[in-house]
Amino acid sequence: MTVVREASSVDAAGEPRAEEQAQAKTGRDFGPIRWLPRALLIAGLAYIFLWRIPHDTGGAAAVASDACIYAIVGLSLNILIGYTGQLSLGHNGFFGIGAFAAAYSLTVQEVPFALTFVIAGLVGAAFALLMGIVALRITGLYLALITLVFGLTLEESLFEVGWLTNAGAGQPADRPEWLFSDTNFFYFCLAFLLVAVYLDYRLLRSKTGRALLALKENERVAEAFGINVTVYKLIAFVLSGSLAGVAGALLAYRIGIVTASGLGFTLALTFVLMTVVGGLGSRLGVILGASLFASLGYILEETWMHSVQQFLSSALSFGSSSAQANIEQFSVGLLGALGLLITLVQFPGGLAQQFKAFFDWTFGKPFNVHDLVHPGKESGPGTAEGSNVRA
Amino acid sequence: MDPLALEIVVPAVSGAVQGCVYGLLGLGLVLLYKSGRFFNFAQAEMGAFAAFITAFADKGVGPFPDLPAPVAVLIGLITGVLLGLVIERIVIRPLFNAPKVTLTVATAGVFLLLFAIEGILSGPGPREATVLTTGNLFVSGGLRITQLGGIIVVVLVVLAAASALFFSRTRTGTAVVAVSQEPTASRLVGISVERTSALTWAIAGFLGAVAGILLSSSTGTIIPGSLTVVALVPAFTAAVFGGITALPGAFVGGVVIGVIEALAAANVSNETLPGAGKVVLFFALLAVLVIRPTGLLAKEA
Repeated sequence: MTVVREASSVDAAGEPRAEEQAQAKTGRDFGPIRWLPRALLIAGLAYIFLWRIPHDTGGAAAVASDACIYAIVGLSLNILIGYTGQLSLGHNGFFGIGAFAAAYSLTVQEVPFALTFVIAGLVGAAFALLMGIVALRITGLYLALITLVFGLTLEESLFEVGWLTNAGAGQPADRPEWLFSDTNFFYFCLAFLLVAVYLDYRLLRSKTGRALLALKENERVAEAFGINVTVYKLIAFVLSGSLAGVAGALLAYRIGIVTASGLGFTLALTFVLMTVVGGLGSRLGVILGASLFASLGYILEETWMHSVQQFLSSALSFGSSSAQANIEQFSVGLLGALGLLITLVQFPGGLAQQFKAFFDWTFGKPFNVHDLVHPGKESGPGTAEGSNVRA
Repeated sequence: MDPLALEIVVPAVSGAVQGCVYGLLGLGLVLLYKSGRFFNFAQAEMGAFAAFITAFADKGVGPFPDLPAPVAVLIGLITGVLLGLVIERIVIRPLFNAPKVTLTVATAGVFLLLFAIEGILSGPGPREATVLTTGNLFVSGGLRITQLGGIIVVVLVVLAAASALFFSRTRTGTAVVAVSQEPTASRLVGISVERTSALTWAIAGFLGAVAGILLSSSTGTIIPGSLTVVALVPAFTAAVFGGITALPGAFVGGVVIGVIEALAAANVSNETLPGAGKVVLFFALLAVLVIRPTGLLAKEA
């Protein structure tokens, strides 16, 4: 199926297949202005990271930290859904347990700050290993269901236990002095994200990465080629869980106090949504999708988009102020849900597919109009193709 | 009544009634699974949406005049059916050939969309739901069965029996199963796959609406998303427990799950283990999936 080939060509990040290169030659070369998108990109990133965020007083640094944290979770989910083909709806569980583990070890056990991240990663990995063992027996939709129930059970049970949650009041997690400023903390999160991206990049180029991709295509064929399905499936879960745990620890320090609220069903779905909308299997797409979902509320409230939002909400509410408030409060959810449905139905490859022409152009390849005009032609639905739905 | 009976019988009875609501939602899940081999994460929220419309019509909010409760319930049920049809047409049909996991993620998107629309229509806070009856059917000691509880049990039994008969005795019902097993061959023998799919979603919307209206009626209030948080996971557990392809299984599974959850919640203190009901549910589901993945009552198709 072309679907799978397309997905894996994106997977191999930056190593286009021969036929894709041939196709790229047919794209339009803009001659001397080729450098323009790269220059614009660098200038834009420099503006955002070095000027806009440090000088913002409306909380942009905090939102940008959230974007980094979500992006790490997105990469973690991408390992499971995008590479290995295991649909996990329980990442709120690994994320939350990481947050609690970091806060508990720092505040109650008085472990050094740096070590709390290791602990969060290890605890996340341990819980993910348990889920991985389950995934050896239960596959496809049933796995999605059991991971969902797992996340909810953790939220309602473990995240309410007295000793872990400071008797329900929430476990405090204070940042060390050098991270007090939100800007510094943002750069701290960004560093973690860059490390996660690098690890993800190395993973795909290793034997393990290739084994995971093979598992996604077909477990039995992979087994026949000598890949130990049991071990590699568990490796995928452990890697994913430890990344999610570390992201949870970052969230703990970002908020300063960890409670069960906000770690439930909606968060679990948001994680899957942002990964699917971003584009499964595409590192850049997943990071974009995660940043979009993390910052959508801020963009609608604090930037020029706010006037657009106010105009639309007042037009749609027919003068009722409570209706307008409702529209503004739920517009993030509405846009997110619409984004997901439009992505699934029209552009199964997600943002990565919708912006493929721009991405390629930015990275020095010719601008391929074909990618832009027929985005749906080359690839099919991008969600966990190879997962064996045993039903 | 002696204390032991109070600890066992009272939660068991209330759990059984609650379990019937899970069973009702589970019935819709089983129906859609039977017809298309996917899970519908929007099932509970479809019901909640219908319950919201019922509450609006009952109280005369928005475009509705102040209608009597039975008319409001009728409007709610029609909303459920229409909602099922719209979802099928806009989201499900374009994804007909997509992997089932994609379809399942899409239904999660439908849930979020409905959640946002409900929030926009009703606001984030609780809204008074349409309460059908408040009387008691049976009171003795600590044991109390409300009229509503009786209605829920009867409705579930009738609907479970009706849908089981639909699949085994009618041509349309067998056509639905045929489409799920072999869409291309079904088309060849003259079954309209599109119409079958629309029909199943209409029925699923109806079942969801019944469950939503009954559950919101028993809790008295309705909040966007609350029905999904409270009932969707137990409904899934019920459906899988009873065998995801067996319609009476959803009924049996619902009651079993409801009783187990209520007993665990009543007898394990919150200090020992918070959310004991949910923990027990998780392990029950895990045990069923590992030991007998087809569920208790499953048979072919």
